[in-house]
Amino acid sequence: MTTRQDALPPAGANSTAAKLVVPCLIGALVALTLGIYGRLHNPTGVAINIAGFSSPGSVKSWLATAATVLAIVQVGSALVMYGKVPRVTAPSWIGGLHRWSGRIAFLLTVPVAIHCLYALGFQHYSTRVLIHSVLGCAFFGAFTVKMLILPRKGVPGWVLPVVGAVVFAVLVAVWFTSAFWFFSTFGIKR
Amino acid sequence: MRRNTPLITLLTGAALGVILLIASMLSTPSKTPAGYTAGATPAPASSAATQPPPASATATPSPASPSATAPAVVTAPDKADYAGRVQGDGASVAISIHNGQAIAYVCNGSAIEAWYKGTAVNGVLIMTGKNNAHLSAIYDFGKATGDVLAHGTDYRFTIGIVHKPSGLYQATAVVRGATVKAGWIVLSNGSKVGSLESDANAAAPSATQAPDLDVATGTAQDGNVVLHATMVSGATGSGF
Repeated sequence: MTTRQDALPPAGANSTAAKLVVPCLIGALVALTLGIYGRLHNPTGVAINIAGFSSPGSVKSWLATAATVLAIVQVGSALVMYGKVPRVTAPSWIGGLHRWSGRIAFLLTVPVAIHCLYALGFQHYSTRVLIHSVLGCAFFGAFTVKMLILPRKGVPGWVLPVVGAVVFAVLVAVWFTSAFWFFSTFGIKR
Repeated sequence: MRRNTPLITLLTGAALGVILLIASMLSTPSKTPAGYTAGATPAPASSAATQPPPASATATPSPASPSATAPAVVTAPDKADYAGRVQGDGASVAISIHNGQAIAYVCNGSAIEAWYKGTAVNGVLIMTGKNNAHLSAIYDFGKATGDVLAHGTDYRFTIGIVHKPSGLYQATAVVRGATVKAGWIVLSNGSKVGSLESDANAAAPSATQAPDLDVATGTAQDGNVVLHATMVSGATGSGF
């Protein structure tokens, strides 16, 4: 046995791939389902609204912004957990912080997505809108992949950071093409 | 047990999504056709009410409507707002539709501008304005396509649905006995154009560039007069 073969054992690669392929397929299915629904469903222009805000756009922008802030907490707490922050040892509550900030962030994005899909649909009339539509669907696919991989044992160590980074990057891109655009176009308002 | 918490997170999110979706469907007035994909069976209640299918089916070549599954589903909204640039970028046009009535405005941010009123039935818009100005278009859930004549200039357009705060704004004020009427079109990319008629009751009102509209407060400063703009929105019915 050479070291080269040890580094790339076919059996190990297969089992890793097998562990990842089902979550990835389910995630892809989630993203596709949302996209197809958004495309086929006739946008109503209205959906259930949350009181206290001037418009659905501002509700969604604030919810998305809160989710994005929590996503930054996610990256920070993950870095601490993985010992990537110099001179910071992970406190005992960091795992709880990571889990709960993630759960809340995810739940905050759900009403936003429902309003998008039900009232506006999957659109492509400008680059911003197209990117937002594609990545908005992709976000829920990527998040599903992350949640399905999380409890699996024997997944290589690089997988969760990579999937987590994808989820974070997609969310930030979705935020930039929607809430950031909204606030920079219409001003920061409630 | 701990192993399953990510799954619980997912399912909680999915359940929340389904609840909100159902709540949205219930809260959507039945007049706004809830023709959500409806795999095999098109929503029966909404399609019957207002739409004779043949006219709308031929009038709107709509790529958005899933023709394979539901050919007879309502193809035009009862309440909608459209806005966008005309072909050639020479002007903006905004159309608001509310239960069969329509209001439109075309404006190049300067002298060429006109208001239109008319009807919107079965996906077809017929509108007229002062000085032989007229606008005709077909519209569906995604866009409105048509032709508009303003100040002798003919524009073609295909414009998309917009949502507040994008759309059409109007302000009127009486200044030294004359009715001043301003209109602004705010596009979905946030860009604004507006014109101001200094004597809106004239047979052929002349217009100049409108002062900048602050969309957040709905005001514009015209010299020492503050204009208070209201939205002309078919979706909400304001301005109708």
